[in-house]
Order: sequence, then C-alpha cells, then structure tokens
Amino acid sequence: MEVGELGQHISRRFNEDLEHVRNSVLAMGGLVEEQFDRAVKALTDGNSELGLKVKEDDIKVNRMEVSIDEECSRILATRAPTAGDLRLIIAIIKTITDLERIGDEAEKIGVLAARLAGVERPSTNYREVRNLARHVKNMVHRTLDAFARLDSKAALDVVKADDTVDEEYESIYRQGITFMMEDPRTISRVMDTTWMARALERIGDHAKNICEYVIFMVHGKDLRYMGLDSIEAEVRKGVQREEAGA
Amino acid sequence: MRNHWASHLLALAGWLLGALLLGLIAGGPAWWLAGALAAYVAYMLRNVYLLDRVISGAPGLRTFGTRGLWPELVAGIDKIRAKSRNRKLRYHRLLREVSESTGALSDAGIILNPEKEILWFNTAATRLLGLDPARDIGNRIDNFIRHPDFVQYLEDPAGRSITIPSPTAELGFLLVQLIPYGREHQLAIVRDVTHERHLERTRRDFVANASHELRSPLTVISGYLDALAEADDPPESWREPIREMLRQANRMTQILRDLIELTRLESETSKAKYDFVDVADMLRGIVRELEARAERPKLTLRIESDAALLGSESELHSIFYNVIHNAVRFTPPTGSVDVSWGTDDAGGVFTVRDTGIGIPAELIPRITERFYRVDPGRSRATGGTGLGLAIVKHALQRHNGTLTIQSHEGQGSTFACHFSPARLVYRGGASKAAYNRPAPNVKSG
Repeated sequence: MEVGELGQHISRRFNEDLEHVRNSVLAMGGLVEEQFDRAVKALTDGNSELGLKVKEDDIKVNRMEVSIDEECSRILATRAPTAGDLRLIIAIIKTITDLERIGDEAEKIGVLAARLAGVERPSTNYREVRNLARHVKNMVHRTLDAFARLDSKAALDVVKADDTVDEEYESIYRQGITFMMEDPRTISRVMDTTWMARALERIGDHAKNICEYVIFMVHGKDLRYMGLDSIEAEVRKGVQREEAGA
Repeated sequence: MRNHWASHLLALAGWLLGALLLGLIAGGPAWWLAGALAAYVAYMLRNVYLLDRVISGAPGLRTFGTRGLWPELVAGIDKIRAKSRNRKLRYHRLLREVSESTGALSDAGIILNPEKEILWFNTAATRLLGLDPARDIGNRIDNFIRHPDFVQYLEDPAGRSITIPSPTAELGFLLVQLIPYGREHQLAIVRDVTHERHLERTRRDFVANASHELRSPLTVISGYLDALAEADDPPESWREPIREMLRQANRMTQILRDLIELTRLESETSKAKYDFVDVADMLRGIVRELEARAERPKLTLRIESDAALLGSESELHSIFYNVIHNAVRFTPPTGSVDVSWGTDDAGGVFTVRDTGIGIPAELIPRITERFYRVDPGRSRATGGTGLGLAIVKHALQRHNGTLTIQSHEGQGSTFACHFSPARLVYRGGASKAAYNRPAPNVKSG
C-alpha cells in the first residue's frame, strides 16, 4: 500500500474523509511531540511552570483522540471500508490510543519535572535521563514520519531502536539503586527520576506499537508478539512483493 | 511553389506523357497510362514507407539520394528535429541552472498547492526539515512538520512568519514564512535561525545576570548611605554629597529593577495569565500615590466603565504606572494630566492625555526603545530609568494589547493602551456568565 493509493476511490468524499482522518492523526502526533518536548525542557531548565502547563494541556490531546475516534467510527459505519482502507482505519484507531498514552506519560514527566525543579539538582543535571529522552524523542519523531510515509522499513528501524531504550532505562534504574544505598537523603529525588525514566521507556514502547501498526497497515500482517527476526523477514518479503508488483 | 515541387511535378508530367506517347505508338494508351500511374503510386508508397522509418529514427538522406522532393522533405524533418533538440537542451540547461542555484540556497524553499501538498522543494529542505525527495512529493506538508504552531499557522498565515523548533536538529530553530503566489499556490521559505536565537538568548541572559549581580553590592552601598544620611556626626560639607549619592544609588536600583523586569517580560513566550484585576481600583491607587508628590501637574481620573481586566496584576500595574508617571514627568506643574479608563467597540481603552512638552512626530516610533530619550538632559533630571515605555510595550504585548501614541510638540501627548475584548470582564450586564473568578481579592499575585 502506498500513500498515493488513498486517492483512488470513486467517491471523492471518501478519499477526503480518509485523507482528513490520516492528517488529523499526524496533527495529534505533532501535539504529542510538542507536549513531550516541553516536559523534557521543563526538566532540563528546572522550569516548574512549564511542567504544569504540560499537565494542563493534556486535555487537548484527549479531545483530539475522542474526535478522531468518532470520525473513524463514522467512516466504518457509513463507508464500510475494505482491504487497505479497513487496515488504515483499524491502524488509526489503535495508533491514537498509543498516542494518547504517550501524552499521558508526557504529562507524568511534566509533573515530575515540576516537582524536581524544587529540589537540589544532582551534579550530572539528570544527564542520563536527558539522554534517554533524546533517544525516545527521536523514536517518536521517526515513528510519525514512518506513519506519514507508510514506510515499513523505517518503522522496523524504530522497533529495533526500542532495545537501546530498554537498556538505558535498565542502567538508570540500577544507578538509582546505587545512589539510594549510598545516600538515603536522595531517595525521593532518585525515585522521581526513576519514575521519569520509566515513563520515557513506556513512551518508547508506545512508539514501537505504532510502528507495528504501520507495518500491519502496509503489509497486512499482524506482527505483535513476534520475534524481531520474523518481523524483519515479513517486512522484507512484503517489500519485495510490493516491488515485484510495481 | 518551391523549386523541388516544381521539378517533381515536371518529372511526373514527363513520365505520364512518355507513357501516353508509348501507348499511342504501341496501342492501348489507357493501359500504358494506368501502368505508369501504378508505378508512380508504388514509388510514392515506398518513399512514404522509408519516410516513416526516417521519422522513427533511421538515418534518412542516404536512402533517398541527394536531390529531389524526398531528400528535401527529410532534410526539413532533420532541421525541425535539430531545432527541437537544441531547444530541449537549452531548457534542460536552464532547468539545471535553476535547480542548482536553488539547491545552493541555504534557505529551504517548498512549493505547496492549495491543498497544502508539497509540489517541489530544494535540497536545503531535505537538510533543514528532513523531507525525502523520493517519497514526500504530493503529501501534505503538515504530515512532516507537525508542530502545532505550524499547523495553526498553515491554516491562517496572514502575512506573518513563525519560529518553530527544528524537526531534525536538536535545539535548532527555524523561521518559516508562507508567501502566496499564482493561483492559490504557496511558497514556504524556511530559514535556520538557531544561531540568531542563541545570540539573542545570550544577550538576554547577560543582561539578566549582570543586573542580578550588580544588585547585591548596590544594596550594601545604599544601606550604608542610608545610615550615613541619618547620622549626626558627618561634617556639614559632606551632608549634601551623601544625599546625592543616596539619590543616585536609588536610581541605579530602580534601573536594575526595570532591566530585570524587562528581561523577564521579553523571555516569557507565553501570554500573561488571566487573573482578575480591578482596573478602577488600581488606577485610583496609582493616582493617589502620584498626587502625594510636590511640584506636579493637575491630575484627574475618569472611570467611564466598571469593566475589569484579566491579566497579570503586577504587569498591568507597571503598564498603568509607567504611562501615568511618564506623563507627569514631562508636564510642567502648570499643566494637567487626564487619566481615563473606558471601553469601546474594540475592547478596553486606557488613555493618558497630558499638556506636556510633546514628542516630535518622527521620534514617536523610537520612544519605546530601551534607553531612548527624546531630550537626554531633561529626562535624566526628572529621574526616569529610560526603560518605562519599553516595559509598557512588552507587557502590553503579553496582554494582547497595543499602544498608540499621538503627540504635538509643545502641546502635549496622548498615550492609549488598547486591550482586546478577550481580556475584558464586565461586571453586570450580558457577559456576566463569562466572569468566572468571583473573588477579586483572591489574586495569585
């Protein structure tokens, strides 16, 4: 399935509907990306006001989810889409759930950042968490790009990148335990930092989910809970089929 | 008729005439004539066939010999072909020039159709925005630049430009401007302003830090000067110098406070908060404070509306205070200053009209610049910091407001601050429902 294929319906309204709902998902993605950026900035700058603003604005993300959900239901009910269109709608319904969760995690990071702004900062200035945040931000960005381009190969790359994020989370977690044992006074701060790393790791997982929906949308294969190797094999097969067909 | 046509027709006539003559001699001239015509048709058919091959690419002139109708036709075709080849080459070269020069631009250029779909972009767009030339043509641009501010801007550009964080470079910033052209097409120009933003930020940080650092030593100096001014023991000759030092130290403190305030206003990107502010009450307080001064012009306050504002209390106070204080400073004690608060169709209006020295028309646009003084000697004598109107301008911007200044030199000036209806709250009347902060004295500060 290619981006251009969306424009091949006899009914122009149907084309426009599909195109519109797809654009809305990406607009929602943009909003979520910004929320995430601001939450991380709140941590970097120690800006509690910004962190709380993220919490306040989460309602916008939720509203968008509801409206896209309604639009999808309407398309399902009135147009009864099939094949690629049906996959698109299903993938969108799942994607917005994960996007909304990313928004929730960003909200969590914002609140934690606001709290951490009030306490003494460690000498590293949360370097590990910021590093992890950079990776995750990059993942989310590439995920949405892959969604926009219906690019299963790029989606696969993001799925692979999730392992690095998991490893980084693991190391922050272990480091935190060491800190807490060395100096119990840091416990509350380290706990907050760990929660933040946890939220970031979850965002990575949601991005990975969305990438799996992208692969599903493009090749029509459900790849959840499969090993990375078999996912890769499927994507390669699918791409080859597509190239042979083109 | 051209030469080769004439000779061809002549040859045809000769051929037919020859056949007719032979027919007359040998008998059956009709058969002879028909035979000759058939031979002519066959000859023509062969040549048309060859011509067809020439058109589709086989070398032509040799098959047809060098003279006569057919070689001329082939030569004509070749000429047209060469011409179009040249033209194509020229366009190709031009196109390459254009694409090379747009590729060399450091700014990204993207052409959008009315549906906001990407029609073309240069190589800088790939570098700055991460667009993929192989796949992204025909997709909507906000599928790739997804920042909410940009999405909103795309809906309604209105001749402005916006700055968004770069989607590709961390900590990068891009300035985007949409320029409409042709039939509803748009050209998006994107420039990397990371460096400018960085410089601007460095400047702001420097001013803020310097002001903060200067404040603490100054507090110590003022403290001792205060004590000295109160003390009885200093010799009489020192008394006046100490008072003067104290005055100047206080002025420096005021300047630093204004600088810090201005830097804060500049660096806040969001709009001011929406706290309930009772304008009439605040204005009464300011006027009362200024009335306590000796040597001042006549002050009158007119409250024409009981509308209140939603905004930041401290910032609104600085707006009102600075504008009124400014008018009082530049108006002689014999003159008058009229302060009024009211509403019109466009929202709330705060006006200060004075009969002071006025401002020359050409300097009006400059007086909101920091440290700009119309008459340096006089302004310093009246004890201003030179930052008042700059603060007013920035604080107003944060309250969706605008400042207009009218002035006649020697006759006085009128400063008007306009506030948008979104910031207004009417007590009583239809829009009471919109007023959801019932306790005016519960202010978060």
